Amino acid sequence: MTDANGQGAVVVTGAGSGIGREITRLLLEQGIPVSAWDLNPGDLTGHNSANLMVRTLDTRDKAALQKAADETVERFGSIAGAATCAGIFRPKPFLEVTQQDWDDHFGINLRGVLFTCQAILPHMRAKKKGSIVLFSSTLARTAKPTTAHYAASKGGVLGLMRVMSLETAKEGIRVNAVSPGIADTPMPNAVMSRDVVLSRAEGNPMGRIGTANDMAQAAIFLLSDDASYVTGQDIRVNGGQDPF
Amino acid sequence: MNTLITGAGSGIGRATALRLAKRSHICVADKNGANAAAVVKEIEAAGGKATAFEVNVLDGDAVRATVAKAEALGPIDALFNNAGISVRTTIADLTGDEWDLMLDTHARGMFFVAQAVLRNMVPRKKGAIVQTSSDFAVMGVPGMAAYCAAKCAVYSMTKALAQEFGDDKIRVNAIGPGPIDTPILRGGRTEEQYRASVAANEARTPMGRLGKPEEVAAVVDFLLSEKSAYINGQLFHPNGGAVMW
Ligand SMILES: NC(=O)c1ccc[n+]([C@@H]2O[C@H](COP(=O)([O-])OP(=O)(O)OC[C@H]3O[C@@H](n4cnc5c(N)ncnc54)[C@H](O)[C@@H]3O)[C@@H](O)[C@H]2O)c1
Repeated sequence: MTDANGQGAVVVTGAGSGIGREITRLLLEQGIPVSAWDLNPGDLTGHNSANLMVRTLDTRDKAALQKAADETVERFGSIAGAATCAGIFRPKPFLEVTQQDWDDHFGINLRGVLFTCQAILPHMRAKKKGSIVLFSSTLARTAKPTTAHYAASKGGVLGLMRVMSLETAKEGIRVNAVSPGIADTPMPNAVMSRDVVLSRAEGNPMGRIGTANDMAQAAIFLLSDDASYVTGQDIRVNGGQDPF
Repeated sequence: MNTLITGAGSGIGRATALRLAKRSHICVADKNGANAAAVVKEIEAAGGKATAFEVNVLDGDAVRATVAKAEALGPIDALFNNAGISVRTTIADLTGDEWDLMLDTHARGMFFVAQAVLRNMVPRKKGAIVQTSSDFAVMGVPGMAAYCAAKCAVYSMTKALAQEFGDDKIRVNAIGPGPIDTPILRGGRTEEQYRASVAANEARTPMGRLGKPEEVAAVVDFLLSEKSAYINGQLFHPNGGAVMW
């Protein structure tokens, strides 16, 4: 990642809400340029500024990703980092999961991540430097009823992350994952009552649920040069609830 | 802020002491008192504050006395439980004493230090601990059975402490460094053996190079800081990709 005076932007997908929104805020606070991509950029819409480029796009759309990556390089010189936060979570009992549910989850949570990285990597390769952070989930390793399709897509993210890290390790590019436990963002709140979301603090060793900031800080660390010897890793940010 | 670092006279402990000294007083603890004193001098030369302690973590009484003295300099908010040794012997030749020394230094030694520090941290409901495990905790390595077992013990203890003390707002994590170019890699090796080991480590590491102690220190700094406020019970690997799981 670049410092305030350096060059290169960080691409954040899912930048319109939750964790991606918080990563965007923290990067801008540090003076790092952000290319913010989302299907629905929310309150970022139209907020293009000296350090911020906002693109409304669907991460399933390869051509749109390619165009946004090229425009980012035109605008900021290079792409130094990426955090892929675009994702969906629509829990359902396994037997009720439709092909559409499956395709939506795999299309956005996994294929969209592959396409995003394919659009960005050539730009990083050209500079022999870069850091990519993919958002997986604690559910990639643990299990909760009604999350089969989501958990499978997030497990796929870990596989993608590890192989990408191997293929780029000698080129100065690092690829890691952040796996949140529950984070108090619109995502869980959209499918669970407030009481259920808050009740997840019970049984957590830290006695609380996570925040968007907790997750964003881990991504910011991995994007930074402080993580220069960290690649291929899955950083689980879950208060110690599932410590494996 | 006051930070206690064991094994701070050399390698990863030393690099972490130098880095954290920018925001904390450092209690530089090592069984090698001369090395500890030298690190304190380095910190002071850079404008920081530090105190040297000569202590062997095998000695529970000495550990408790050291922690008491360190606490007297200011409440210990952060502990980097890091002192360790390495031995390379095939299991057929390994003696009981060597096995004990390995397990006692890592598991029992870190237990003594963590216990003494936690007794003070718990009532204050604030603190962070990082313990040095290794890549080898999750990976079998020929000729290093005792070291692997000791480092796995450290990791298991870390997970247990993380769950036991989360309620007290104390986070406990482990680091699992890959091949890092510190004096421990040279220990007991001829120059030729050392170079062969470097080459083997470069070959097994996707990044194709050994890590620097400063690159591990940066991870420890993160895990001891508020930036990792929800990371607990984890084994964090600065390892150039050598192990992924
Ligand atoms: N919040 C949690 O508890 C939690 C837990 C585990 C993992 N995660 C993961 O963290 C990441 C961020 O989650 P969040 O909590 O910030 O969720 P969120 O719903 O608040 O934000 C997700 C963002 O992704 C965008 N998005 C969705 N589909 C898209 C598409 N096809 N193209 C472009 N943008 C799209 C949405 O518009 C939204 O702005 C996700 O990958 C999620 O799966 C979150």
